[in-house]
Amino acid sequence: MRYAFFPGCTLESAAEELMISTMKVAEALGIELIELKGWTCCGASHIQDIDDFLATSINARNIALGEKLGVSKIITVCNTCTLMLRTAKAKLDKNKKLRTRVNESLRSTGMQYKGNVEVTHLLWALIEDYGLDRLKEKVKRPLTGLKVANFYGCHILMPPKIMGFENHMNPQSMEMIAEVLGAESVKFDQRLACCGFHAVFPAEKEVMNLTGMNCLSPKASGADCLITPCPLCQMQLDAYQPDAQKGFSKDITMPVLHLPQLIGLALGFSPQELAIQRHVVDAIPVLTENVLV
Amino acid sequence: MRTIHYKIKRFDGKREWYQDYQLQYEKGKTILWALTAIREQLDPTLVFTSACRHAICGSCAIKVNGKSFLACKTSLDEVLETFKSDYLVFEPLSNFEVIKDLAIAWEPKMEKMKQVKPWLIPSNKGSVERGFIQSEDDFHEISSPTDCILCGVCTSECNQLAVNDGTYLDPFILNRAYRFSVDSRDCAPEEHIRPVYENELWKCIHCMQCISSCPKGIPLTDEIAYLRQESIKMGEVNNQGAKHAFAFYDDVRNKGRLNETMLPIKTDGLLKTATTKIPFALRMIKKGKINPFHMPKAIEGIKGVKEIYKYAEEVKHS
Ligand code: FES
Repeated sequence: MRYAFFPGCTLESAAEELMISTMKVAEALGIELIELKGWTCCGASHIQDIDDFLATSINARNIALGEKLGVSKIITVCNTCTLMLRTAKAKLDKNKKLRTRVNESLRSTGMQYKGNVEVTHLLWALIEDYGLDRLKEKVKRPLTGLKVANFYGCHILMPPKIMGFENHMNPQSMEMIAEVLGAESVKFDQRLACCGFHAVFPAEKEVMNLTGMNCLSPKASGADCLITPCPLCQMQLDAYQPDAQKGFSKDITMPVLHLPQLIGLALGFSPQELAIQRHVVDAIPVLTENVLV
Repeated sequence: MRTIHYKIKRFDGKREWYQDYQLQYEKGKTILWALTAIREQLDPTLVFTSACRHAICGSCAIKVNGKSFLACKTSLDEVLETFKSDYLVFEPLSNFEVIKDLAIAWEPKMEKMKQVKPWLIPSNKGSVERGFIQSEDDFHEISSPTDCILCGVCTSECNQLAVNDGTYLDPFILNRAYRFSVDSRDCAPEEHIRPVYENELWKCIHCMQCISSCPKGIPLTDEIAYLRQESIKMGEVNNQGAKHAFAFYDDVRNKGRLNETMLPIKTDGLLKTATTKIPFALRMIKKGKINPFHMPKAIEGIKGVKEIYKYAEEVKHS
């Protein structure tokens, strides 16, 4: 299995541990990830607020980089990157006039948007391309006894017209993966909540409140840790947790792992190999207690 | 016989409780059918609102298992299939004041909506005598936002309103502001947009709930992007939201990628960053999450990216 890999900006800096764990997991599963040469930031759901044509154009360029590689899919490990690329693709595939204009804009790059690759996320690819049975065979250390709270994040589900992998009102993909890995998924109110990351500057007070609720809810359900398929959710829930704590009298402590880190643990990697020690809220104690015997 | 179990949130003005009801399953029904059947067959005291039964009046929206739906338009079978359960919880919409049971108060929202002048401010191109002709293209600009039936589903699902003190405008209000600001017959778009800007426009989190749940498929998030673009054109660039967006916009043009170290400084300024974000930065550095000395190099092909920016500028001004 080969994919063109679009890492996105956070994987180069604040979520380097996601780059490390994704690479480890992909290699162990025999998935080849070819990083796009010269990819740009996807716009992170901000650039369209200044110029939507530009936002579409830069992502047309990103997709065109993937088209050059002759693979059928571009893969990401970030919800927002997936949404931004798929939004551009949906617009370009639907609107011929726009596509002509965007291709005019790409002329200086020597590239063209053709529309012949798909954009997917690792979570989806594991289910629809790799297969859960195959993933199950690779499990070396079943995560038996580990109670996980699956926090999807908005951008892997909505808008359904653009994302549409599963029903956005009751998705099951994360639970399916957790089950294969041997972990137990807990039910919690904030499973489909918003992490607030994209407005953490202009709406700091509100977003910190969201973060606190997003930690308390899985805690009340007895979760050992929160799992997310998005580095932006992860950053909001983990790195800002000490700031969010200030607004709550109850202890909100909740370790937050990236999805590939959870998979990596089940594949037998140590927390250090998956760079789990980098998280602000230490996840290693609960892992040691539950799975690393 | 298959039984569907309904748990309905009741409120009598003082007391709140959940009440259980059961109905035999019937194929091809709507949520509104269930509500009506419960009131007619089981409990005449249950209060909910509805009128047209055809997704026109906008009065029947409620929450089912935590998600908001227009009751008369939503198929019961679809909901049972979505939640894979024969147990449904009905509650009034969120982010509204509740009057009784499932009935919510609209007056405060209408008062709030007045701020954006949700009416046409006519230009002198038309008059009562001559009429006010609009081209077909101009009409298409307003046809989708005009579909709004004020059902409140977007408000109920809005993640900013869930934590906001009430200043932030409901998505349907933003839609009204948009609808009149793009109307070719309106001569004062700023009068609709300025109040939007002043009421925390940049607090939208981009969660995509409104666009995903609108029963009329109105592209609300695209409208919010438009309103932000217009506020920037009006000169409103000196705020955290716009500065944050420009940080991304500029970084992509200059290097192709985001400089995460500089992002807070570009958004909040050096002083505010120094006073508020230092603990955050220190814990990030300590864990190896941020290397303050990592400055991204320009990507391969940055020249082409700059050309794309130039082209987009031309498109904007053409
Ligand atoms: S009853 Fe009128 S919209 Fe549902």
